[in-house]
Amino acid sequence: MIEEQQPPPYPKLKWILSAIFLFALIMGPGPGLYLINDFAAAGGTLAGVPALYAWAVFWFVVEAGVVITAYRTIWRDLLE
Amino acid sequence: MSSFDLLAALDMGITPHVVLTLYMVMLLAFGIIGYLKSKTSEEDYYLAGREQGVLVTSLTIMATMFSSAAMLGIPGLIYKDGVSFLFFTLNLPLSGAAIYILGSRIWRIGRTRGYITPADLVTDCYGNSGLLRSLIALVGFLYVIPYIVMQIKAGGYLAQRMFPDTESIIFLGQEIGIFEMGTIALSILTMLYVLIGGMRSVAWTDVVQGILLLSGMLVAGTATVMAMGGPSSFFDQVAALPSAALSVPGPSGIWSPWKLMTLCIFASLSTMIQPGQWMRYYAASSPKTLKRSAIIFSTLLPSCFLFGVMLVGLGARVLYPPSVENGALMPHPAIGSQAGGFDQVVVAMLQEHVPLLLGPTLGVVFVSLILVAIMAASMSTADSNLHALSAVLTRDVYDRFVRPRAGERERAWFGRGVIVVATLLALWLVNLGEQDPNFKPIALIAQLMFVAMAFSCQLLPLALDALFFRRGSQTGAICGITSGILFVFLFTPFPQLILSDGLTASVKGLTGTLSGLFDIGFSGFVVNTAVFAIVSRFTPLPSKERLESFERDLNTNPHTIK
Repeated sequence: MIEEQQPPPYPKLKWILSAIFLFALIMGPGPGLYLINDFAAAGGTLAGVPALYAWAVFWFVVEAGVVITAYRTIWRDLLE
Repeated sequence: MSSFDLLAALDMGITPHVVLTLYMVMLLAFGIIGYLKSKTSEEDYYLAGREQGVLVTSLTIMATMFSSAAMLGIPGLIYKDGVSFLFFTLNLPLSGAAIYILGSRIWRIGRTRGYITPADLVTDCYGNSGLLRSLIALVGFLYVIPYIVMQIKAGGYLAQRMFPDTESIIFLGQEIGIFEMGTIALSILTMLYVLIGGMRSVAWTDVVQGILLLSGMLVAGTATVMAMGGPSSFFDQVAALPSAALSVPGPSGIWSPWKLMTLCIFASLSTMIQPGQWMRYYAASSPKTLKRSAIIFSTLLPSCFLFGVMLVGLGARVLYPPSVENGALMPHPAIGSQAGGFDQVVVAMLQEHVPLLLGPTLGVVFVSLILVAIMAASMSTADSNLHALSAVLTRDVYDRFVRPRAGERERAWFGRGVIVVATLLALWLVNLGEQDPNFKPIALIAQLMFVAMAFSCQLLPLALDALFFRRGSQTGAICGITSGILFVFLFTPFPQLILSDGLTASVKGLTGTLSGLFDIGFSGFVVNTAVFAIVSRFTPLPSKERLESFERDLNTNPHTIK
């Protein structure tokens, strides 16, 4: 006898989180960098930190936030 | 003054000897304890009985992923290319997510069907093809070998820095200097505990090495920021760097956003499906273990980079700016005397600033610990790759093509033989490359290391299809992975050895353009996926029964099958 797989608890959240993560990859290390690159090259800072460093930290926080949200909501394994 | 001279100037006394001896004794103890707890089965030797918990799983995955590059190469790139290479960190949350998203599926079917290597899973999906199994083993081999060689070489360089005054000895008519002693010590010690204890010893030593590595990254960053007057003063000085160091594509002009993005996506995924990591998914005690490991990996490791060791590279750029000589970017003389000297930035910075911050006694202890952490980073990658290579060659080559009727005991001894031969071969290559300036295999391998991840990436289309879609055929898989491997080979120095000058120039033009725009693994992935999809469209798919059974085992809790 085999236990059937249960439907995921938040069916749409998986796609929303995937979209946010992809957006973070495009904006962080991807072409979104061009939005801030000239400002960074001119020595611009955000909260006292070089602009590109702050940009990297911000998109890291977004990515990590997506992973933590997935961990707490949609990553439900069959053994749990 | 080079970093080598800096270390010579700093009186380290016997502290490095004591720290290193304690570390080595501990590694051997783990090897022996692992042996005493082991059973004689192949599954126990390669997967530690499939019962590793959260702490061991998360730290062994981290330690396996990060070699000496974490403490040497990556900070060196920040020093060379400024803030632009910081974005490499953004691959780590994706790698962490892959531990659960890919790993939990690999774990479920691996547990149900008793898989040990990546090829066990992929060939089971597409039909048992010896050719496909060999190609997957080849991908693993092409990833693993450069890494083992480079880690052993790092052991030699670290020994030179830790014990600069050690005199050479004559053994069997050969002069053995401190570099050779370092490579021999690192490789023999690593080989011993992998041989004795298998996955259990490798994973336990990875825990200690992982903790040392993460602590070293944070301590190095903190020491640099404090030495430059605290966070506010540090960032003020960094913000005053030349504009090229504060923006993309960086002073060397290679880190365009498209290249950074494809590197983040494909380098991370290819690293997380290399044989050493894949086997760690099988070895986890449950998917819950992988889930927690994913969270630790996604948050802790990037933090150690962004708020730790990467700050050392930025600080060094302020204090010791590189210069352009004959059109090439060169490190400051205080960091290194040649183009490859960028990698020495962490060692040089710490040797100069930590003793000033903490006082000579405590400072020397910290410097010694961080140098041991760098060695730990090398060993943790070398041991995992040696162990994985042993499993791949035993299961996917020896067991299938050489001695299909070999018993479990014979296979286990063959696997141990692979570890000994691979270690000695790597050691021989490293030392030969150092002694004979006309022998260039190490330079070749160093270039190969940059495409090692690209080779590993050629398993990605098959892995994703087998785990999520199951739309490909066996012929499609073979054609796809073959074309991917061949395409990536174009980026290595090998084509110039076999092609005419005209053809070599054309290939170099193509690969130069592509590697300037994108990650090499991404280019190979595109070719591989296209061929895989097209050939699968026109060739027979695996039987419906095979695919349904495979899908059921991917999605079923193995503990509920009665």
